[in-house]
Amino acid sequence: MIEIVPGRQYGFFTDTTLCIGCKACEVACKEWNLLPADGPGLTGNSYDNTAALSATSWRHVAFIEKIGDPSASSGQAPSAGSVQAGGRATSMPPFQSNWLMMSDVCKHCERAACLEACPTGALFRTEFDTVVVQQDICNGCGYCVPACPFGVIELDLLGDGKAHKCTLCYDRLKGGLEPACAKACPTESIQFGELGDLQERAGRRVGELLERGVPEAYLYGGPGSPGATDDIGPLHAFFLLIDRPEVYNLPAAPSLPAKRVRPGLLAGLATIAGLALAAAAAFAAGKE
Amino acid sequence: METPYGRPHRPAPSPTRGEGAPRPSPLVGEGLGTSALRGVRGIPTYYGQPAIKAGHYRWLVVSYLFVGGLAGAAQLIAAIADLLGGRRDRAIVRTGRYLALGGALLSPVLLIKDLHTPSRWYNMLRIFRSTSPMSIGSWTLAAFGALSGLVGLGQALEDLAGLAVGRRLARLSGVPAAAAGALMSTYTGTLLASTSVPLWSTADRLLPPLFGASAAASATAAISLILELAGANRGRRRLAWLALACGGAQLALARATEREWRRQGVAGPIEREPAASIYRYGVLGLGAAVPLALNSVQALACRGWRTVSVVAAAATLAGGYLERALIVLAGRDSAGRPGDYFHLTRGAHGPTIT
Repeated sequence: MIEIVPGRQYGFFTDTTLCIGCKACEVACKEWNLLPADGPGLTGNSYDNTAALSATSWRHVAFIEKIGDPSASSGQAPSAGSVQAGGRATSMPPFQSNWLMMSDVCKHCERAACLEACPTGALFRTEFDTVVVQQDICNGCGYCVPACPFGVIELDLLGDGKAHKCTLCYDRLKGGLEPACAKACPTESIQFGELGDLQERAGRRVGELLERGVPEAYLYGGPGSPGATDDIGPLHAFFLLIDRPEVYNLPAAPSLPAKRVRPGLLAGLATIAGLALAAAAAFAAGKE
Repeated sequence: METPYGRPHRPAPSPTRGEGAPRPSPLVGEGLGTSALRGVRGIPTYYGQPAIKAGHYRWLVVSYLFVGGLAGAAQLIAAIADLLGGRRDRAIVRTGRYLALGGALLSPVLLIKDLHTPSRWYNMLRIFRSTSPMSIGSWTLAAFGALSGLVGLGQALEDLAGLAVGRRLARLSGVPAAAAGALMSTYTGTLLASTSVPLWSTADRLLPPLFGASAAASATAAISLILELAGANRGRRRLAWLALACGGAQLALARATEREWRRQGVAGPIEREPAASIYRYGVLGLGAAVPLALNSVQALACRGWRTVSVVAAAATLAGGYLERALIVLAGRDSAGRPGDYFHLTRGAHGPTIT
């Protein structure tokens, strides 16, 4: 049992090589946070019928089946590191049976684009260094939604119209309990803990996998890793992946929106100053 | 499909398929054959699912970008005409100030209506956050509204009661109001650019100048249109010169923005119909080329024509609105294209597998 103390950094390390796609994390999250169901529809995307993280789905298990794709064998495989596609399951390396599963979640970024975009202060950084929306402050302006480089936060347009996302179970942490998804994960694919400990553990796990003959293993969102670019990282919820980030619907090198504020404003004001000079010339010249 | 919670299921968008990709075998799901593993431009996507979320901005925000920008630029033009213009320019000053006041009153209505919890609009003024263009904009609009109110009050005192104190009040508050107006007309470009949407974020140094030039052109057109319709445009040629400067800048910046979108490989949303035609004929043709031609005639000829002024002004206003609408709505399209986003965020070293 991890001791949860305010003032320390907590997060998730999601080791996708241990994920079996049971979706217990999705269910536990919905149960604890009282989130409504998203509907019984089927997407046709393997076993993934949640489709994406949303205002009412704070964990989302992605399923990528790489078995029997005839087109990928025609010399355009996504990368050298990927498992060879095109064969039957029996003729491919046994590890993971070429079936990738990954439980996605809010990354609780080091510099969070949603928090930096929020004009009301509804989004704030907690004493556990996580990023949470205060529901009694949010006025549903929706600016955090396109700001997020990972497409996580969303307005609940069919519900209360406010922004929602994973809170890293802020209420449970305050009570000394680990988040519901990590508690429910039966394979320890989702590991909760102090960020430093998790990073150390994740580094060891990557080394172990490399040693065991999984050269594709790498961390997404760890210090200096893909996903942790432009001061966004290290992500407080980070992942061990074995294919390109895009395969899991993650950007390889996201950028921080707030860094575009100052240059844009200065360029705009410079243009207006130029046009103001033109106006001044027109009016001064036209004076009788 | 409605659930007991009233929440329809989100259907997955059809996968984007690279050009000339072989058809996947019927045994393989449509999404898997090409999009999940290969995707577009050699970068895979996850069943063509969007990688970021688009946000909800539609007509209310489009209208605010137009109205707020126009009001800001109108206040700036009024202040310059007030300080540097002659007696003939008083009508331009008056029209600009009332336009700015009208826009400053309409803007918060549009923005508050766009909130999903409008009763909490005042939380916008709860904090100031320099990393958030939304916060910068809220405070700018609040300051601009208050100052435009003072300017409008002064102008009304002068117009209705003939008080000299009104004129002094309007001139004194007109300068800070114009400064706030300059920010009003440009920050909205940064508002869009400081997101993760490919179409907006790639033009982070071009959208604010473009919106500023477009706002100045719209404000000039609106002042000119009102004066023409009132039958009292004594500043026709000066306004035509100003419209030429703003329109020229707007056209050049629009072309530069388009080039930047192509260079960065995110121009898809404005290259497909109907966006492509609206952009070419509506924004560039009607909104920029037509007024430029008409205003050139107006500025160079020894006399002006009322009809020419009216047509040029109306075309500028329509084009300016279309420009904001196109950029906002095409941004929604852009956010739904994981290929564009992953192309943009591919990093310096290509595939990231070690």
